[in-house]
Amino acid sequence: MEAKGLFNVARKEFIGHLTSKKFIVILGLFLIISALAMHQGINYYNQQLDSYKEQLSQIKEVEGIEPGYMPEKPSIMLVFMFMSSYIMMLGAILAIAMGFDLLSKEKETRSLKSLLSCPVFRDEIINGKALGGTLALVFAMGTSLLISLAILLIFSIVPSMNELAAILVFGIVSIVFLLAYFSIALVMSTVSGDSGSALLCTLVIFFILGSLLPIVGSTVAGMVTGDPPEPPAVEIQHETNESEGPISKGVGEEEMRQYQEELKAWSEKRRPITEAFNIISPNMNYQKISFLISNPQIYSAVYEQSTPFTSTGYFTGGGEAPSLQEMLEKVWKNILALIIFSIVFFAIAYVKFMRMDIR
Amino acid sequence: MIKTENLTKVYNGKKAVDGLNLEIAEGDIFGFLGPNGAGKSTTILMLVGMIEPTEGKCFINDIEVARNPLKVKEIIGYLPEDVGFYGIMTAEQNLDYFARFYPMDADERKKRIGELLELVQLDGVSQKVGGYSRGMTQRLGLAKALLNDPEVLFLDEPTANLDPEGVFQYRELIKQLSDEGKTIFVSSHILSEVSKVCNTIGIISKGTLIARGTLEELKNEFGRVGAENLRIIVETIEPLPEIEHGDIINAAYSETKRKVIIEAKSDLRDYISSRLLEEGVKIKEMRMEEPTLEDVFLSVYRR
Repeated sequence: MEAKGLFNVARKEFIGHLTSKKFIVILGLFLIISALAMHQGINYYNQQLDSYKEQLSQIKEVEGIEPGYMPEKPSIMLVFMFMSSYIMMLGAILAIAMGFDLLSKEKETRSLKSLLSCPVFRDEIINGKALGGTLALVFAMGTSLLISLAILLIFSIVPSMNELAAILVFGIVSIVFLLAYFSIALVMSTVSGDSGSALLCTLVIFFILGSLLPIVGSTVAGMVTGDPPEPPAVEIQHETNESEGPISKGVGEEEMRQYQEELKAWSEKRRPITEAFNIISPNMNYQKISFLISNPQIYSAVYEQSTPFTSTGYFTGGGEAPSLQEMLEKVWKNILALIIFSIVFFAIAYVKFMRMDIR
Repeated sequence: MIKTENLTKVYNGKKAVDGLNLEIAEGDIFGFLGPNGAGKSTTILMLVGMIEPTEGKCFINDIEVARNPLKVKEIIGYLPEDVGFYGIMTAEQNLDYFARFYPMDADERKKRIGELLELVQLDGVSQKVGGYSRGMTQRLGLAKALLNDPEVLFLDEPTANLDPEGVFQYRELIKQLSDEGKTIFVSSHILSEVSKVCNTIGIISKGTLIARGTLEELKNEFGRVGAENLRIIVETIEPLPEIEHGDIINAAYSETKRKVIIEAKSDLRDYISSRLLEEGVKIKEMRMEEPTLEDVFLSVYRR
């Protein structure tokens, strides 16, 4: 394979994406919404920080607190939790918009024949298109992250080195997620006769993978495992002890422990079924990874059912935040699934394009 | 220069091109004729290396196309019937993108693109190609086909969308390219156009070459097939007398009697001129109607 043709196609595609109205409009929306998400995230982070400071002052003031207990300082990665939800929707739409007409439009306008009459291999064309699109997505995501960092600095929030590394991982995972939908759009653009059909098919797949599949997984899991166990009724009894004076005693603590065990068993039975469906959904994989990076507590609550809500209504506490390596160990399957997703769909687009009948 | 050996292409079990054997010499302007679906475009696509033959081989300058499509593409130019470009780019940007696939540096590209845009009269047009008329796109297609100064040029319906001025320029350009020794392969439905620019002609039907030769050769061989009678047209200054001869089948006189179209079994021009001389009638014009390429084409195709 000659690199000259590949880079020529990639260069044209990259410039074409960056100068197309479609890309500019969606990227503009994406950046505005990312900035809004950052604003929301910063507010949430500040609330968490206030709560943390309050707890610290309580520790100093209140006597009898368990020695060694320290509340966990919130991470600025919380800010990116909000951003991930927008990437999952608008980012995916941007990736689809970039890919759905890459080849179908060339077929419609007959420019593909002009291109193929030049001394260039077909694989250079499809690889160049994929490379150009990938670079444009990296540009979009990079711009979004740079704006996010700028907003953090404007609000006098300076990330640590670990947090910067986590932001970088978040950015890379987001790009891999976007590439998954870009690859699907590229396949549809290759196999469809026109851009309208390609867009429609890609949106249907986006809906199936992003929304329908997790619902189906949850429904199937519900049919297999049945309803969750009912929690026992808990009431507080106030008694007076002669030596200790008045004490409060929870009735049904044993039942509560039993309930928690049943709930855990139910969750563990349910998890492999939902995971089997979710692993083939780019959205669910991305959500899981981004939750772990941006808010490990919410990840534990949602995916491990281990951390309860606090009285403030937020997910906090529960020991130290995992290191980046620990995080990656937890979600490597999901990262791999996203990568495989992109590779498989690109491979389909590649094979289809190489065998495409040009008349 | 262009050679095919038993060239065959099968689509869904149906032969679009069936054992085509063709040889076109260097510097020839070859007209490739055939009805819709005869296999013209499929043949061209195989010759320019865009599709692979199911069977057989084709060569451009002794290079086998299927084995070395890139080498072939470096020395040929191709104007597809429905040529298309990137609508969001200008003509210059489009040509620059395609030119980058050829071994040309930036200065060479700029110079060549400038020359070609001037040649097809698109220089100074700053609008994007998306806003071009079909004729302008066709002219840009011609410029694109000439980007690499090709040795062999394939033109599929080159005058389909051109205005009379564009057609005239196209003919001049083809003559100029032919003088430079380039081999030109023209596929067209416009038979008069082919007869004006091509020196050799091939007629394809159902994927098979059914006739091949110069226009004169084809006229001699096929011009009268199915048309035994000759048509002689005579125009005079004075009114015509009645012309009688055993070979005359029909004579249609004009109202003024100054023109007659005679259908005859043989060439009666000598007899008619003597007869008119005897009567003192001056001849303004007398000619025997030649078979046109259309006659040849229909004659060959209907056999």
